[in-house]
Order: sequence, then C-alpha cells, then structure tokens
Amino acid sequence: MRNTRDTQLLFVLSKPGRRAGRLPACDVPTADIAELLPTAAVADAPPALPEVTEPQIIRHFLNLSTQNMSVDTHFYPLGSCTMKYNPKRNERAAAMPGFADLHPLSPDAAVQGMLHVLYEMQQYLSEISGLPACSLQPAAGAHGEYAALLVAAAYFRDRGELEQRRRVLVPDNAHGTNPASAVMAGFDTVAVKTLPNGGVDMDDFRGKLDDRTAVLMITNPNTVGIFEPNMRVIADEVHAAGGLVYLDGANMNAILGITRPGDFGADMQHYNPHKTFSGPHGGGGPGAGPICVTDALAPYLPAPIVERVGSGSSVVGSQESEHNAAATNYPLPPTLYRLSYDRPKSIGRVRSFFGNVGVLLRAYCYIRTHGPDGLKRVSENAVLNANYLLSRVKHILPVPQGDRCMHEFVASGSKIKKEKGVAAMDIAKRLLDYGYHAPTVYFPLTVPEAIMVEPTETESKETLDAFAAALFRITEESPELLHEAPHSTPISRPDEVQAARSPCLCARWD
Amino acid sequence: MPYLYNTPEDQREMLAAIGAESVDDLFAPIPDDLKLGRALQLPAAMCELELDQHLRELASANQHAGNAVCFLGGGSYDHFVPAVCDVIGSRSEFYTSYTPYQAEASQGNLQAMFEYQSLITRLTGMEVSNSSLYDGASAAAEAVLMALHAGGKRTKIVAPASLHPEYRQTIATYLECIDAELVTLPCPAGVIDADELAAAVDGDTAAVLLQQPNFFGCVEDADRVAAVAKDAGALLISVFDPISLGILKRPGDYGANIAVAEGHTLGTPMSYGGPYLGIMACDQSLVRRMPGRIVGETTDRRGNKCFVLTLQTREQHIRRDKATSNVCSNQALFAVRAAAYLSQAGPQGLKETAELCLHKSRYLAEQLCASERFSMAFEAPTFKEFVIRDRDNDVAGLLQQARSAGYLAGLPLGGWYPELSDCLLIAVTEKRTKAEMDALVGVLAGSRHARLAAVD
Repeated sequence: MRNTRDTQLLFVLSKPGRRAGRLPACDVPTADIAELLPTAAVADAPPALPEVTEPQIIRHFLNLSTQNMSVDTHFYPLGSCTMKYNPKRNERAAAMPGFADLHPLSPDAAVQGMLHVLYEMQQYLSEISGLPACSLQPAAGAHGEYAALLVAAAYFRDRGELEQRRRVLVPDNAHGTNPASAVMAGFDTVAVKTLPNGGVDMDDFRGKLDDRTAVLMITNPNTVGIFEPNMRVIADEVHAAGGLVYLDGANMNAILGITRPGDFGADMQHYNPHKTFSGPHGGGGPGAGPICVTDALAPYLPAPIVERVGSGSSVVGSQESEHNAAATNYPLPPTLYRLSYDRPKSIGRVRSFFGNVGVLLRAYCYIRTHGPDGLKRVSENAVLNANYLLSRVKHILPVPQGDRCMHEFVASGSKIKKEKGVAAMDIAKRLLDYGYHAPTVYFPLTVPEAIMVEPTETESKETLDAFAAALFRITEESPELLHEAPHSTPISRPDEVQAARSPCLCARWD
Repeated sequence: MPYLYNTPEDQREMLAAIGAESVDDLFAPIPDDLKLGRALQLPAAMCELELDQHLRELASANQHAGNAVCFLGGGSYDHFVPAVCDVIGSRSEFYTSYTPYQAEASQGNLQAMFEYQSLITRLTGMEVSNSSLYDGASAAAEAVLMALHAGGKRTKIVAPASLHPEYRQTIATYLECIDAELVTLPCPAGVIDADELAAAVDGDTAAVLLQQPNFFGCVEDADRVAAVAKDAGALLISVFDPISLGILKRPGDYGANIAVAEGHTLGTPMSYGGPYLGIMACDQSLVRRMPGRIVGETTDRRGNKCFVLTLQTREQHIRRDKATSNVCSNQALFAVRAAAYLSQAGPQGLKETAELCLHKSRYLAEQLCASERFSMAFEAPTFKEFVIRDRDNDVAGLLQQARSAGYLAGLPLGGWYPELSDCLLIAVTEKRTKAEMDALVGVLAGSRHARLAAVD
C-alpha cells in the first residue's frame, strides 16, 4: 500500500520541539562555549535541520525505499552494470565489529586480520587478471581508470617519453568514463571507430596508432558483449608502437577463470568489485576500483600496498596449506602484514586512507565462497544466460551483433521505431509496468535505439522466459500506450528539460 | 554454487535453444591460445558456515573500537552510529538498487538524494550540494579542479600545512599531470598565519584551502582566511568537519565558495577507511562545474512533483572527454545514511554531540597536561582533537604501552611532520567517557611515574 503522507519531505514533516536522538549527560566539567572558542568562530544557532522523531524517520525512509526497484525485489537486466544478487553473508561480514569498527590509521600490528584480507585480495585479483601487481586504493571503476592512467603517465615520464606520448586511444563504444579519465590524467583522447559487431575498426585503429600513443583503453568483452576478435593483434601493435594497453574491467563477469587480461595483452586493468564480485550497488555507490598492472608498472602504483613480511613467496599457489595454517594460528604474529609506503616512484595517493575496504571485504567473501571452480561457473552461467536470452529476444528485436554474445547483448529498437514510432525508451519504460527494471538504453551510442541487456548468472530460465514474453507483448501493444508508459509506477515521464533549465536542487524552505 | 539457478536440465534446454553444443562452445570466440587452460590458483570454496568462522577469526585478530578504546582521529572518527542508519542502510531497496537513471523505478533513491542535498545545504550554509563523491580527500581534489577551471588562467593552489596530509597528497596527485602548482603554507603555530597566507596568495592563485577545525584539531580564523582569498580573487575551499557544525560557523557563513568534507561521521562506521562519504557543496554560480550526480525536482507528465538526475550534461556518460569530471559511481548509500543521521540528530542533537566532543576533548587535554610529561603543542583553541607533546620524546613507546592496555591512544605525527615527531594527535568523540579518559591518562602519564619509580 502506498503511503504518501510519510514520504513528504522531511522538512515538511518537521515540527519544532520534536527530536529522535538523545545524548548522554556530559560527565566531565564544562565551561561556557564563549570561554572555549573564539566568538567569531561560533555559530549563533545550530543548522536548521528538520526536527522529527525516530518512528517518523523510519516510516519516511522505508516508504521511500518501496518506490525503488532493486535486485532483491526485481529482475534488473541493466546492461554494463552486472546487477547480480548481493549475498547476505557478505553484508553480515562487513558489519562485524572487527572490520566495521577499525580505524584506518591503526598501527599495522593492531589490524593483522584486516591486512590478511587485503593482502589476499591483492593476490586474488592479480591471479584472476594475470597481472602481478595490485593496488586496492581507487574508490570506483572510474577512479581506477584515472589512477592507472596516472601510473602510465609516471611510467612514460620516467622513460622520458611523456612529452611525446600525449594520446590515449579510446574506441567510440567505450564507457564515457574512459575518455573523461584520460583527460583528467592530462592526456588528449582520440576516438577509434568500431564495427557494427562492436569490434575495433582495424584500419581506423592502425591509422591512429603511432609513437604519440601512450595508452589504448579497451573494454573486453566490449560494450556490445563481444570478445574483441583482434585482441591479441591490437595489443601487440600497441606494444610495438611503444604504448600500453588498458583494460576496462567492467565486463570481467564474462571471463573469470576462462581468459585473463594479462594473458591477452593488457598491461593494466581495473575491477568493479561491486559488479563482478557482487558488492551491492547501493543506489549508485559505493563501489571500488582496484587496479592490477604488470611488473614494469608496479613501482608507480599508489601507496600504500599491503606487504607480507618475512616471506618472499606468494600465498597464491600454496594457499591451501597457508590458509589452514592461518586459520589455526590466530592471533597472528604481530608483523606478518604491513602497509608499505616506501614506494619512491609511486604516483602518490588518489584518496585518503587505504581504500573502499568494506567493498573489498565483500568481494573477498564472494571469491572465498566460490573458489576457482565456482568463479568459472559464474562466468559460464552469465554467458549462458545472456546467450539464452539473446536467442529469445532476437525474434522480437533485431540484435545487430549476431547470434552469440558473452555476458550481455545489445538489441536495437530501430526497426520498431521506424515502423511504429516506438522508441527504445518507450520499451524500457513499459518494462517497468511488467515488473522488470529497464535495460540500459541508448548506450553504446554506436547502436541505434540501443537496448543493452545483461541478465547475469543469478537469474533463472523461467525469469528469462518471462522477460522475453513481456518484451514480445510490449512490441504488440499500441504505440500510444507505450509513449505514456509506465502506467503503474508512482510517477511517469518526469520533465527532465524543466529540471535542467530551472534547477531546483534542494528543498525550498521558510 | 549458492547463487546459481541453472540445473543440468536447464542448461541442456538453454543450449538447445541457443543452438550450441556445450557451454564451452559459447566461449569459442575467445582464441584457444588466450584461454587460461588451468584452474585459477585460488583457495577452494567455503560454505557460509566456514566463511563465517574464518571471518570471525580474522576479525578477532583486530583491535577495533569495540574491543579497544579508540582515541584515533585524523579524518576518521569513532562517532556513534544510531540504529536508524543501519536499518535504513540495510534496506534492500536502497542497497541493492542501481544509479537512479530510470526515475520511475527510483523515486525512493532520488528523493532520499534530494533530501540529502537539502540537508547538506542547511548543514553548510552553502547554496547547492551534489549527491556525494568518494571521500573527503578526493572531494577536496575535485574542488581544486573546479577552482582551476573557474579561475581561467590562474594555476596556483595554496594549501596550509594544517590541511590533512593525505588530502594534500591527494591534491598533489591530481595536479601532477596538469598545468597547476600546489603551494604548501607552513603552519608552525598549528594554524594559518594570515599574513603569511596573504604573502603566498597572488593574482595567479585559483584557490585557498582551509580545514576547519584543522588537521591538528585547532580552530582557524576562517574569516581572515576568507578575506585574504577574496582580496586576491581566489576561491575559498573549506574542508569542514560535519559534526563541528553543531557549534562552529558554517562554511557558507564565512564565505567559502566550495565546501567539502569527509562525511562518514554522519552514520557510517570507520571500516578501516572506506567506503566513506565525500560531501561537496558550492556556490550556485559554480553548479555547472560541479562533479558528481545531482538530483533535481521537476514534474511528471501527470503534473506530479518528482525527482530526477539533472544537469547531466556535466557528466562523463553524456560529455565523455568534455565532462567536468570522470566521476560515475558515488556513495549514494552513505548519503542516505547521512540523511538519516542528520534527521535523527536534528539541530539539538548535532549541537549536543559537538558540545560533548568539545568538553570531553578539553578535559582529556587538561588531564594529560597536568602531568609534567605532556604539554599542548599549539596554543590555538581546539574542537575535538588536539596535539600533545611528549617531553620524553617516546611517542612509539607510549602508543605501544597504551595498546597493550587496550587503548588506541593517538596518532604519531612524525611521519607527516618531522618537527612533530614527539607529538601525538588525540581525538575524543561523544562516545568517550570520563572513566576511559582517566584510565588513558593513568596509562600515558602513569608510565613515566612507573618508570621513574623503577629507577628509584
């Protein structure tokens, strides 16, 4: 039942004199604020926050929450976002006081259990990527791109080539973060054309690759869900031209344990643990953006990095005995792990403290839950589900890339647009009425009326069948009905032009 | 595997529909020589019970604010997290949803973000807020980039040594590859010397940074700093402590043009440094240069009031290389928690929290300085953190001793400030009790007595 009274703005619900929280009485001697702080620094009154009770807060936010679709409540086939199930055991782990209540500047000896998790994550991510060095510091995928491009810049600066290598090549179907990150890192971007199947246009690529190229940023599998057919050749040619290959790791869910970026020619990559390793998306964040790089780039990674002291051997490879030992020997010796800041060639920091540890801890849980076989099963089923859904959808909407895909595919609404005037957005909005979150639409820009579908592995055949059936029914519905869809949601078709032309960005009050 | 649906029969049916022989067949587009051809070298799978036991064991190897008494600060604080934040933050519809690009399926998130923005403008006295960035340090770096873009040809950024060292390091990293210079103003007195600042700021200065209260816990003369920045035509970027605004003037009150903060203290636990909440608010005139997602109010086709992501032409998914920033993911879930926290606190709760921090930290400072061993490193008034100097110059020994007694006593400053290698930064939140503080004083001040007694 919808409750609109309690979802009025908090400022409307506020009434002077109400309050939710009480604090303990002060148990130390107090003095007048005026004696403790300069008058000029002290405010006349505290900020005019709303005055509400605890039940009001709960009813307000819980009723608001019911106006969201979410992975826990709905199929969410949002292409490029890997909206898989978010395991509850991971949430419980992150909330354990031994992790949640850790201060980031604690001495290393006080946080050996945490450092164990983070050290292992560096190892696991390196093993999965085939790139031996790892920094867990970046806070999101785009932040990882940026950090890695700064690493590349530092590498070229060290070699005296940065003046010459100013260009970052980015395929035109890449995520918008790629060119934006390149510009922030001080590079010029050069768009590389792609073919209808999403693969790089080799002639265009070769025409643009030269000794001014610093980095090629590539998404593989790419944003239409195809494994780049010329991956190895592209990487070899970039390397021959003295450049580096960056892999946008947004689509790692397709290839876990099957192929590794380091093995197909990438020199650096980021992960989106909130996608691939099931950290929840949180309504837009937090994410995390750990990066892995080759040995040649390792000295430039952000600091600090977790080091294992007193043993040169990697945990990966002999981890069974290591893990059993670790499990029985706690508390750990005080200096088994430490944060290493001694990295003279490091690019420095890209944020405060260690990283988005809570997200990384969830990813650790996910990797430990699956093990090597389980991770491979994840990718196999993600690809199976996507191909199965493609086999259902291609009879309803054309899929220009063909009959096969990796973890996602891009259908095109251009035929129905031409025939009935029904836009991809109309279809997306109408799917909401059927109880499905909309796929990503109008991305990548290279597919007209793009409808990008990523079912993920945590959906059933029944769900995929029902989704395809809904899509079919929608294409049979009247254009008028679809233009005004959705019909069952709390609101429909907000006026975005009005929102941007005369922005109202906070509640008006008083 | 616990999260997969497909039975062998499902797989057969699905492969038949696809027209594929096997699952391996689906991976045929990947050339064989690029395939891994072996199992990943990772530990074997654990069931939920095994994982839970494993993690409890790891967690128990940590000293944390639950099993030790935490006086650590420096940008992350052991403030109380009310239950409402956990309940709302654990709501599946918030934490398992995605960025609200489909407004009709996301009004809950969008309104919560809009309310967060509104609460932040009230908290800061600034005109507009975005819906969050990664953390305080990257928000400060983004603010610097904004100021450089707004400042046209101005390329200098002035930051005092009293700004968090990791924030300065982050800003330095962000400026490394672009045409800009970061000038650090020494603060031997623990606060900005306004005359020195005036000498460092010139017509090439795009922005002056101010941390209030600063990294040492000292309250800066924000009005004078603002005046110096304004006289030079530079923007003032304030790095504020949200809790302090229960007492202190708001960034908007002293003329900040951009205000950023680490917002984890509004209802999100310390979590070893992240994920946190980057708060950013600014002047209306700068809104189109602001990074990050912004929610705005509008109406739908039926005329109902509603909320959407707006001003998206600033953002990377529309503008690509012309975007104001590459930021995509934000910290929406913690913005929701912060909205819950600020509602729960209300004006009175925020004021009382700030007052408790002030009074308690002053009490601890006085008690420590009653010992001959300790003195305040700086004269400037403090809010919830302070720097004490150890006359015996044995900070490491003190911390070790305190830790064995169950106290995370403070941060050694020598790594960041060699001249303060005999100093400790100690933070006191509303959670600390008189008994805990008295016991800490016993451990820190008592250690010398014990040692002297042993020598006697």
